[in-house]
Amino acid sequence: MIDEIKADETLDCRGLSCPMPVLKTKKTIGKMQSGQILEILSTDPGTKNDMPAFTKRGGHEYLGEKEDDGFTRFYVKVK
Amino acid sequence: MGILRRGYRTVFFENWPVMLGGLLIGVMSVITFAWARPWGVAGGLRNWGDWFFSLIGVYEQGPLSPLFSTNSILTLGLLWGALGAALMAKQFSIRTAPTLEIIKGIVGGSLMGIGAAMAGGCNVGGFYTATSALSFGGLAMMVGLLMGAYLGLRYLYWELEHLPGRSTGGGTEKAKEKGIDWLSIEPYIGIAVFIAAIVAAWAYAREAYTRVGGLLLCGIAFGVIIQRTRFCFVRAFRDPFMTGEGEMARAVSVSLIISILGFTALKWTGLRGTEVYVTQTFWFGSLVGGIVFGFGMLLAGGCGSGSVWRAGEGQVKLILAVICFALSTSLFKALIKSSPGLAALIGRSFFLPDWLSYKWTLLVLILIFAIYFLLATWNEETEKFTVEM
Repeated sequence: MIDEIKADETLDCRGLSCPMPVLKTKKTIGKMQSGQILEILSTDPGTKNDMPAFTKRGGHEYLGEKEDDGFTRFYVKVK
Repeated sequence: MGILRRGYRTVFFENWPVMLGGLLIGVMSVITFAWARPWGVAGGLRNWGDWFFSLIGVYEQGPLSPLFSTNSILTLGLLWGALGAALMAKQFSIRTAPTLEIIKGIVGGSLMGIGAAMAGGCNVGGFYTATSALSFGGLAMMVGLLMGAYLGLRYLYWELEHLPGRSTGGGTEKAKEKGIDWLSIEPYIGIAVFIAAIVAAWAYAREAYTRVGGLLLCGIAFGVIIQRTRFCFVRAFRDPFMTGEGEMARAVSVSLIISILGFTALKWTGLRGTEVYVTQTFWFGSLVGGIVFGFGMLLAGGCGSGSVWRAGEGQVKLILAVICFALSTSLFKALIKSSPGLAALIGRSFFLPDWLSYKWTLLVLILIFAIYFLLATWNEETEKFTVEM
C-alpha cells in the first residue's frame, strides 16, 4: 500500500539530525495544500519517533514509512 | 530460544516509552550516588580535554589518568553503553552531515564546553545532578537553559528562512559496502561490546578498583537507557517552544523528582556529604553558563549526555561536537582557575537546605517540577509558549 503512494512533494533531509527534519517538515507543510502528500527522506534514527508524534500533534495524517537503501521514506498527508 | 529472541526484540527493536527512561534515569542517578558519586558527563569530557592538552604540552600538569578518573569513567560508560545499544538495535552507522551542520556541531560543542565550565557541569552535572543535590545553582542553570534554548530555536528558525539551501541533505549516502552485510552482524559486535564492558569491570575489581569498575557499569546503564529511549534534555527545554510537545519535559520532571528524593535521603541522613555537587557557580556562572550552554545545545542538536550517546551512534556532527566540547571546557576551566576575579564572578555555592531547611527545600523543589510538568501539559493543549516560525 505504501508503495502506491504518490507524493506531491519530496523533502530531502538525509544527513540532517534532530531537530532539523521536523523543523523542515513543519515549514514545508505550511506551504502545501490540504490533502497533498509530503514525502520526507531521512537518515536520522530519531525521525522514526518524531515524525508520527509531530504529524499527530499537527493534526496531519501519518501514512507510514518505508526503508530504502540506507535511509527511510516517510509519508504525511497534510490536513 | 524463542523467548530470548522475543526479549531481544522488545529491548532493542521496540521503542521504549520516554517516561520509562525518565524513571530509570532517576533510579540510576540515586544508585550511582549511593555506590560512589553522583552522575556527571562534562567532568569526563574535561578530563579528556585536560589529558589531551597535557599530552601536547599546553598544560604542565596532567590530570588524573582517564582510566581511573571517575568523571572520565562515567562518560566513557555512557559512550560505551550507547554504542553497544545502537549496535544491538542495528542503528549504528557513520552518518556524515552537510557542511553547515558540521559547523553547527563544532560551534555548538565549543559553546557547550564554555557554558559547562561556567555552570560547573553540563545539563547533567550543572542542572540535573546539581538540582538533585539541592543546589540553588541547578535551578539557576535551568532558567539559563530555557533562555538559551529559546534563543537557539530563534536562530534555527532564522537559518531556515535565510539559509534554506545550506542544510539540505542528500548526496551523503554511499552505496552499501559490498560483500559484508554490516547491519546483520552489528548485534554480534554489540554483544562483544557488552561482554568487554563486564570484563573491564571485573579487571578493575581485581586490581582493587571495584568502585571504578562499578561506575563504568553505571555509566553503561545510563548509555543503554538513554540510547533506547532517545532521552534528550534538549527536547525537554526546546520542544515546548518548537512543537508544543511536552513528553520529554514531563519525563525530565518525574526523573528529577525521583533523583531529588534519593539525594535528599542520602544527604539528610548524613550518609553523603552535604557539599557534594553543590556547584560553586551561584548565580552568575549557572545562569549565564546555562544560557551559553542552552544556545550551544540547540546548534549541536544534543546536550552533554545527548551529544555523547549520539556520538556513540556514529553521527559525525555530534562526534565533532563532543570533541570540541572536551577541548573548550578544558581551556575555559583553566582560564577560570587562573583568574581569581573571574572565579569570584562565577559565584559561590548555595546549598538550599542551609537557607530553607531540608523539609522545605524538598517541598519547594517537588512543587517546582510538578508545576513544570503541568505547564508542559497545559502548553500541549494551548500552545501558549510555542513560537511560530
